[in-house]
Amino acid sequence: MKVTLFITCLVDLFHPNVGKATVELLERLGCEVEFPEAQTCCGQPAYNSGYVKEAKEAMKHMIRTFEHAQYIVTPSGSCATMFKEYPHIFQHDQEWEAKAKKVAEKTYELTQFLVDVLKVENVGAKLKGRATYHTSCHMTRLLGVKDAPSRLLKHVEGLEVVPLPNAHNCCGFGGTFSVKMGPISEQTVDEKVRYIEETNADYLIGADCGCLMNIGGRLERTGKRIRVMHIAEVLNSR
Amino acid sequence: MAMKIGADSFHQRVEAGLHNSFMRGAVAGAQERLRTRRLDAAEELGNWEEWRALGEQIRQHTLLHLDYYLMQLSENVAKRGGHVFFAQTAEEANQYIREVVIKKNAKKIVKSKSMVTEEIHLNAMLEAAGCEVIETDLGEYILQIDDHDPPSHIVAPALHKNKEQIRDVFRKKLAYDKTEKPEELAAHARKMLRNEYLTADVGITGCNFAIAESGSITLVTNEGNADLVTALPKTQITVMGMERIVPTFEEMEVLVSLLTRSAVGQKLTSYITVLTGPRDEGDVDGPEEFHLVIVDNGRSSILGTEFQPVLQCIRCAACVNVCPVYRHIGGHSYGSIYSEPIGAVLSPLLGGYDDYKELPYASTLCAACTEACPVKIPLHELLLKHRQIIVEREGKAPISEKLAMKAFGLGAASSLLYKLGSKVAPNALQPFTTDERIVKGIGPLKAWTEIREFPAPAKERFRDWFREHRKERERDGNDL
Amino acid sequence: MGMIYNRDTFLQTIARQLGREQILSDVHRPNWNYTPQWTVFQGYSQEELLSALEAQCSRIHTDFVATTADALATTLKQVVEQYGGGPIVTWDDQRFSEYGLLPLLEAEWPSENVDVHIWDASAGRKNIEWAEKANVGITFSDMTLAESGTVVLFSDAGKGRSVSFLPRTYIAIIPKSTIVPRMTQAAAFIHKQIEIGRIVPSCINFITGPSNSADIEMNLVVGVHGPVKAAYIIVTDR
Ligand code: SF4
Repeated sequence: MKVTLFITCLVDLFHPNVGKATVELLERLGCEVEFPEAQTCCGQPAYNSGYVKEAKEAMKHMIRTFEHAQYIVTPSGSCATMFKEYPHIFQHDQEWEAKAKKVAEKTYELTQFLVDVLKVENVGAKLKGRATYHTSCHMTRLLGVKDAPSRLLKHVEGLEVVPLPNAHNCCGFGGTFSVKMGPISEQTVDEKVRYIEETNADYLIGADCGCLMNIGGRLERTGKRIRVMHIAEVLNSR
Repeated sequence: MAMKIGADSFHQRVEAGLHNSFMRGAVAGAQERLRTRRLDAAEELGNWEEWRALGEQIRQHTLLHLDYYLMQLSENVAKRGGHVFFAQTAEEANQYIREVVIKKNAKKIVKSKSMVTEEIHLNAMLEAAGCEVIETDLGEYILQIDDHDPPSHIVAPALHKNKEQIRDVFRKKLAYDKTEKPEELAAHARKMLRNEYLTADVGITGCNFAIAESGSITLVTNEGNADLVTALPKTQITVMGMERIVPTFEEMEVLVSLLTRSAVGQKLTSYITVLTGPRDEGDVDGPEEFHLVIVDNGRSSILGTEFQPVLQCIRCAACVNVCPVYRHIGGHSYGSIYSEPIGAVLSPLLGGYDDYKELPYASTLCAACTEACPVKIPLHELLLKHRQIIVEREGKAPISEKLAMKAFGLGAASSLLYKLGSKVAPNALQPFTTDERIVKGIGPLKAWTEIREFPAPAKERFRDWFREHRKERERDGNDL
Repeated sequence: MGMIYNRDTFLQTIARQLGREQILSDVHRPNWNYTPQWTVFQGYSQEELLSALEAQCSRIHTDFVATTADALATTLKQVVEQYGGGPIVTWDDQRFSEYGLLPLLEAEWPSENVDVHIWDASAGRKNIEWAEKANVGITFSDMTLAESGTVVLFSDAGKGRSVSFLPRTYIAIIPKSTIVPRMTQAAAFIHKQIEIGRIVPSCINFITGPSNSADIEMNLVVGVHGPVKAAYIIVTDR
């Protein structure tokens, strides 16, 4: 099966290890992974700040880059959601709407792809310790991927996954919100950190680098010894 | 704009909200309780998504035929002997109500909770006209006797106050001598208010849903205050936002079911009261005279625009109860009687971008509101639309942001620029980096690093690794 | 006939905003895509509805007492005593005589010095004073909603609104035959009445238990402006 990787700019620039894990994992499961070098950013930062014109330029570029793929897989619920939104955003532009639709239809968030397309839940991963999982808002509410991550994590040998209290609450990232509304964002992420601590987990796992950067950055700043891992890294642990 | 509260800037109010630890505890606790209750109530039905779809369809149908249904409503009210006043503006509504009150020579007015009367600042006008105005909803009553403290939640207006504060207000203003037990406080309010209902000249209510087919209005409460407000005084004035209407009893029923479940997790509240016209021939209680005031006040300018869905709102506050931002800053920070998220969509529409341009940004776009809304208003998308308008039409975005976004547009749309830009990033940020972490950034990074660490850009980008990886695989004879 | 002010410009503004001429007739409600309200307790027998009602009563702080038509007077007397006796105010409603309650109201209670006021339209506002002083208000239920535990009251000259609001305790007598699944059936009934040209009563009350409030720190206080206590007496053979 040929998989075209949409790696997202955060992973490309700041968290290449997540990308490596994603590639290795998919390859181990028999996928042939390709990476179109022309890819940039899905346009979300501009779009969510109200710069629709600028965002659309980025989106068109991404549509062109990915329109011929068979499966588009990305290790980010939020960026997958953005691809899924493209047809809606181009709804007044027939030509681009049609193209956007093609791209949106074949876009999968990584865990969704594993469970729904590859139909695997046990990827043979091993990781010792106690973990809790942060359900990202875009991934659960907008993309509708609710239980694929927990189904995959359940099969990780040696890993005990404990529920995160008030898991439904946003971590306070929100893209530019995190800097525009700093004080509010701080309180929100602090509450999240408190709940994470309550679980006594060794690992905080998530499927979106944005949220993980926010929570992880705050954990570190406040000197907490909880390791933050992207789910791709967990599933690629052996 | 009348619905505005306070003169402080958004950031000053947020500061105050964040430092009010009682309020934040109260809000967080209330959010959790209300959320659980709402989810339980929805789950019990088993087909909540169908209910929401029905609610949405009813509201959309009604809005698309709003002129027709308002015509039918007004005809039916008049047929039953009630009077209908269509008010384009807050001033017109106030003017009409003032005339009625003066004609009735009214001294004392009892009111049941109504957001639209808050919006048009009706109380201030009535007091200026020499009337004593008494709010009868317990929460509103508490705020009123506390020198008109503004409401902070559209369903539980006094959510920001604790019982000790309420006890102290009662002691100071009502010669109360008991404890802070909610039962005792409520019993005292009951005693004080009973007499007011019996001696009031005019009763004023809001309207949850007007019913076009019969000219009726529906009032939804748990306390029963709206019933006393409408049963005892001789004159009743009901004020409604023009969109709060349904075609028939059958749609009223569905929306009431959605409202009570979403607002408080109850199948129905204790009192759902449907009133039609003034009292009937031979009736003893109920008003002799009934006036319905239908208020536009900026609503019609939302019709036919991309923001039209906001008029589907049934004011249940489910969106408020799940909002992570409201959770931490409380209702007063919004500077409007309508708080986040519905308020962040509605306030700029009714009150203009000058006063409310920050509100659409006070959201993480987590979509919890959209998911909770019983009539499926895409709240987070409407917030995005506001942002777009602020940037493109209002030109109110900061210059530095505009430049950055321009650069973003160029960079992200061109793979070459992106590649170059991302390649130099590690070097550009080098001076701020310690140990793979940025602890003190500049520009937007500064705001980030005031709160949290930021990872330094990786020395080897993913794309560089992938190129190597691919070569390796090819060398190993993999069929790539 | 009441007056209507400023209607034309108001409605024209709406039509203009909606981008069309004003619509004056021929609007029909669509066939709604979903009608979940009709599936609640679908196909339940009267017996099953009764037990649903009973279960709901415990959630709305309302006492549930089952009795038969023959025993109704005795039961009513007991229940009133439990709540501290008179003064009592009731509707002027045919059913009090049909259910054999007049001897209790007109002879037995007065002989025991229990004040009973039967609503009397000709006495005007005096009725309200009675109701305000009454300890117990008694009405029949015109329709009863099993799902929510709600009694539906249609006002008329003899059926004053104040009887259910002003006294400290509210007692509803509920013939089992009045029980329907939920508000849907009541609304449909009223809608039908309107369609065939009947006049809607000036006040229709849907009452669900005693009055309450959670306005102080979200603590539930039962008994605010209206009754502090409520009881339903179900007549199981009517
Ligand atoms: S926007 Fe939706 S959830 Fe929010 S108050 Fe209105 S109806 Fe309720």
